[in-house]
Amino acid sequence: MGFTLTFEQTELQKLLDEIIGLLERYSDDPSVIEAVLSELKAIYQKIPIYPGIITVCLPKVVTLVKAKQLNKGSEVALRLKDGRTLSGKVLEVTPAEIRLTNCHEFGPQRPCADQAVPVDDLREVRLLTREILQKEWPDLDFQE
Amino acid sequence: MPELQLKRGEVVRAEGLVSLQVKEGGVSIVGGLHERGAKVVIPKAKSLPVEAESDAVIEYTAGPGGAIERLPGRTIPPEWDELVGEIARIKPRVVLILGEVDTGKSFFTTYVANTMLRQNLRVAVIDGDVGQSDVGPPTTLGIGVIEKPVAILQEVQPEAAYFVGSMSPSGHMLEFMVGMKRMVEHGLQRADVTVVNTAGWTTGGPGRALRLYEMELLNPDLVVALQRGKELEHLLKSVSPGKVRRLTMSKQVRPRSKSDRTFLRELYLARYFEGAGRLTLDLRKVSLERCYYRTGEPLDPKGLGVAPIVYAEKIPEGLLVVVDGELSQDVVRELEAKFGNVHVTPLGSEKNVAVGLADANDELVGLGIIDKIDYARERLVVVTPVKDVSQVSVVQFGSMRISPKGKEIGTVKPGSF
Repeated sequence: MGFTLTFEQTELQKLLDEIIGLLERYSDDPSVIEAVLSELKAIYQKIPIYPGIITVCLPKVVTLVKAKQLNKGSEVALRLKDGRTLSGKVLEVTPAEIRLTNCHEFGPQRPCADQAVPVDDLREVRLLTREILQKEWPDLDFQE
Repeated sequence: MPELQLKRGEVVRAEGLVSLQVKEGGVSIVGGLHERGAKVVIPKAKSLPVEAESDAVIEYTAGPGGAIERLPGRTIPPEWDELVGEIARIKPRVVLILGEVDTGKSFFTTYVANTMLRQNLRVAVIDGDVGQSDVGPPTTLGIGVIEKPVAILQEVQPEAAYFVGSMSPSGHMLEFMVGMKRMVEHGLQRADVTVVNTAGWTTGGPGRALRLYEMELLNPDLVVALQRGKELEHLLKSVSPGKVRRLTMSKQVRPRSKSDRTFLRELYLARYFEGAGRLTLDLRKVSLERCYYRTGEPLDPKGLGVAPIVYAEKIPEGLLVVVDGELSQDVVRELEAKFGNVHVTPLGSEKNVAVGLADANDELVGLGIIDKIDYARERLVVVTPVKDVSQVSVVQFGSMRISPKGKEIGTVKPGSF
């Protein structure tokens, strides 16, 4: 028998691809990211040995639907044309509007010019490092 | 008690739960000959053809869901008989049965085993489906030698078993492969022909890898592919064509739902742990496998000066601590600065973890469910049907949580212990 395996031997890679896809698709919506993350955490805690099942379940956390398909009590995140996101539970759906309860609003992300931030206003300083693979593991930072 | 008269060659389907007794003549059930006086019980959710080998009289009792139905003719395809004839003639040492879920692999395995037995060949059967194991309890790979005709593989008494640790090879590929190799080695020593019934996971990266490396490792003389269509061809491309025999699945195969499978698994587990008792193992006398715990250099937890830590040991990967309560982030950072990685295990998190109990030769003697680890006294308490503590030299950690009544209640994150 001759074997030239290039396929994955675990389903972890598919799970990572799925997480990356969801983060990219919904990076502008903190309410969706929170729902995906909390579901991911909950499923992983229950079945840490089955990444394949997590991969199947995770994309089903967020589905795009029409307003008329919503039911009272559904948890939704509504993206508005002005860039805001409203999340909450559906109270009522009419042809003209969707009424929400327990609502949270997230504003649009806007680029801002130079800023001066008083140190006294700081809660935490988070240093971001890009190209971390090159710094941590340069041998594996293959040049294409 | 109802009686059924059968002419030679007539066939009936026995739908479990049915108890049969052969009063006159002889009948064949899944290839096994049952003659006058023989009793056969077909369990619930199983349906098997009964073929009269001579004019025969059968007495039967039907339980819940049980029934007997006459069939127009044989349900076993003629090509199956041709292949079984070939196996009897060439006596391959290892026959591997491939097929997706619900293609009749267990039925065919039983048919081969029973037919070989009638040819006075010694046949060993390996069940490679850890979730739906017929030979040995779930979470294990088991092997048994057929001593008498069997209607279903569950009647085969396991001679040896290997604890894989989970209901699926997913995340346990290495244990699975080692177990399969060991079971085949056992079969080669004990039988003329060893039939390996594989699990139905045949596609996707892990499924392909599992089946292909399994074939490479076990090096079967014959690979029998039970197919609905061409769903196994991607695997068969890697097998020497001379070794492959393709069969179409029997029309009698009935699919099992996920809930049926879970129900059956839990039923087998519940039966296995029926009558189990508590066994206290001295951790100074048994060795632990498949875990980090007790593989390093013990440290005095008091020396660390952190109240919640009840057990500590230095391992190559860092520091392993068992904590009774919470460790603050500051304490974790201090320990990380000193020891590198800190692996925190909450006290009591070991409860209900399924373990394999093995003897000094690493042969499985039974399954256990951890009740508790007493870190101070170095004792491990397990619920197990194994009665004799002196039989147990090794405890192998698995990744399932099972209640003492045999119900699956969760899984364990790999590397937890």
